[in-house]
Amino acid sequence: MSAPRGVLLTGATTPFGRTLARAILAEPALGPVLAVGAEPTGVGMPTDPRLTYQRVDITRPRDLQTLLGGPARDLGIESVVHGAWHRRAADSGRKIRLLNVDSTRELLRLAEGHPTIRHFVFRSYADVYRIDAEEPVLLAEEHALRLAEGMPQIERDRLEADVTVCMHMGMSRLSIAVLRFAELLAPDSGSQLFDYLSSRVCLRPVGFDPMLSLLTLEDAAAATVAALRGRARARPDRVAERPEREHHEAHHTGIFNVVGHDVLPLSRAVDLAQRVCVPLPGPLLRPLYGLRARALRAEFRYELNALRFHLSGVLDGRRARDVLGYEPRVPIDWELVARQVRAAR
Amino acid sequence: MPTPRPSPVPESLMRAVARAFLPPAELERAARLHYDDAGHGYDTLGLHPDWVAAGLGMFRFLYERYFRVESHGSEHLPRRGPAILVSNHSGTLPLDGAMIYLDVQRHTEPPRVPRPIVDRFVPLLPFAGLFFARTGATPGTRENLRFLLEAGELVLIFPEGTPGVGKRFSQRYQLQGWRVGHAETAIAHRVPIVPVAVIGAEEQWPQIGRLPIRLLGAPYVPVPATPLPLPVRYHIHYGAPIHLEYAPEDATRPEIVQRAADQTRAAVEALIARGLRERRGIFR
Repeated sequence: MSAPRGVLLTGATTPFGRTLARAILAEPALGPVLAVGAEPTGVGMPTDPRLTYQRVDITRPRDLQTLLGGPARDLGIESVVHGAWHRRAADSGRKIRLLNVDSTRELLRLAEGHPTIRHFVFRSYADVYRIDAEEPVLLAEEHALRLAEGMPQIERDRLEADVTVCMHMGMSRLSIAVLRFAELLAPDSGSQLFDYLSSRVCLRPVGFDPMLSLLTLEDAAAATVAALRGRARARPDRVAERPEREHHEAHHTGIFNVVGHDVLPLSRAVDLAQRVCVPLPGPLLRPLYGLRARALRAEFRYELNALRFHLSGVLDGRRARDVLGYEPRVPIDWELVARQVRAAR
Repeated sequence: MPTPRPSPVPESLMRAVARAFLPPAELERAARLHYDDAGHGYDTLGLHPDWVAAGLGMFRFLYERYFRVESHGSEHLPRRGPAILVSNHSGTLPLDGAMIYLDVQRHTEPPRVPRPIVDRFVPLLPFAGLFFARTGATPGTRENLRFLLEAGELVLIFPEGTPGVGKRFSQRYQLQGWRVGHAETAIAHRVPIVPVAVIGAEEQWPQIGRLPIRLLGAPYVPVPATPLPLPVRYHIHYGAPIHLEYAPEDATRPEIVQRAADQTRAAVEALIARGLRERRGIFR
C-alpha cells in the first residue's frame, strides 16, 4: 500500500478550508495536510497530528517560496488545493488582486518547479460563466465566459485567475484540476446570496424567478477530495519510464463544475430562508440595493447579480459525476440557513 | 424535526387555478404527470407540476370549446422515452403550441407533456417567460436539448420558428424556412422524430400588417385583421415516428443533416395535405 499523499491547502481558515481539511484527514489515501491561512492560529481547524497549520501571507512571493521550499518539501506535499480568495465583494484594490490573481500565478509557478508537487487543484466559481438569454440554461464547462466592460473587480479577478490556471493545462508538468463551484450558501464564504437573504425583506425582479444551483460546504469538500483522490495510483515502473504522463494519468485533470443538491427558484430560496420576498420592477432594484449597500455596508451587490436574478443558470455537473465520481449528497439545511441569515444582521 | 414549509404563493395560486378550471378527472391526470424533480418540486430547467396543471386549465376552454380540437394518430406518440415532435407553426400568436401541449397530455398514458422549444427572446419576457419555463418550455440550445432528451422527454420543435407564426394568410400551409437543428439533434441522440401537422391554426388570425417594433424582445408586433382569433376547428395529426438511420457522428455532416431535415419536412407536408383533404371546412 502506498503512503498517503500530502496536501497543501491555502485559504484553510475559511469555512470551506476547515471543512476540506476535515474531509482530507478522513480520507485514507490523503494526508498529511499543510494548512495555510492568514490568521495567526488555525482557529476551528481539526486537531490532528497529521495537520500542520502555518500562517503565511501568500501575497508575498518570498513567503510563498519559503513555504514551498521548506515545510511543503519536508512533508513531501504532492497536491496543492488553492482556495484562498478575498471574500468581500465590496472591496477592491491592488492588495486584493495580489491575493486573487497574482498569488495564484506565483503558486502555480513555484509548484511547477517543486520536487514533490504533482497536482494542482484550483477552487473557482460558477460566476465565471456568462448568463444570457442567448446561452443555455445548463452551464457546462465549455460555456461562454462572462467578459464585460467595466466588470467589478471581484468578477474580473475570479475570471482572470480561472483563465490563468486553465492556460497551464496541457503545458504544465502538473496535473491541474479547476473546480468551478456552484454558490456556497454559507456565512463568511463570499456568498452574495447569503448576504441577500440576510435582509428580512428580499426584493426580486417582478415577472422573473430564475433557477439557482446551490452547494453545501460538505459537498464542496467531497468534490475536492474526489479530485485529489485521483485514479488508481500509477505503477512505479511506468512512472520511472514516463514520469510526466503517468502523473497526469494518476490525477484528474481538467475543468469540473461542482453542483449542489439544491436546484430551486430564487423565490423558493427566499421562502425557505424564512424571508419575505417582494417582487418589484427590475430597474428599481439597483438603486434600492445600492442604498442598502451604502447604508449597511452590505455585501450584496445587485449589479453582480442582476442577470442571474432574471435568467436561469444551472450548473451541469455531468463531467464531475462521470470523471471524478462526484455526486452531491448533502442538501442545504434550510432551518440552519434561516438561523444564520437572521444572526447575520 | 423541522416543520415543512408550505409551497410559496405562486405554486398555491397555480393549484387554485388548476382546481378552478380542471374537472376532477383532468386534475387526477395532471397529478400523474411524470417529471424529474430536482429536489424542491421543480425540474432542473424550472418545470413545476402545479404550473403545468394551471396551464392545462387555462387553455382548456380554447382546446375544448373555442378551437374544438380533434386529434388524429395519437397512437404514434411514444408512451415513454425521448422523441422529437416536429410541427408546422402559425397563427399570429403561437396557440398551436399550446393546443399540441394539451393534446399530447390528453392522449398519452401515462400522461406526458411535450417540452416546447422556444425562441431565445422568450426568457426575457416578464411573466410570460416565467410561465413558459414553469410549464416546461426552454430555449433551443444544444445543451438544453441534450439534457431533455437524456432525461427521456418529448421535445416539441417548430422548425419554422418565429417566421412561421408571422406567416401571411396567402402563405398558409406553406412551410417557411425549415431549420435543420431538429434533424441534427435527432441524429446526434438517436431519437425518433414524430411529424405533426396542425390544421386550422394557419387560418385562425389573419394579419393585415406588422409593426416593425421590437417589443420585449419579440421581433415585431403583428396587426391582426380581427380583434380575436377566429373560432376555427383545429385538427392535430401525428404521423408515424421517423427513425433516422444515421450514426451519431453523422450529425456533424451538413449534407446528411439537410437530407434528414428534408425527410421530416416532407413528412409534415404530407400530413398537412392529408389533413386539408380530410377536413370538412375551416370551422367544422
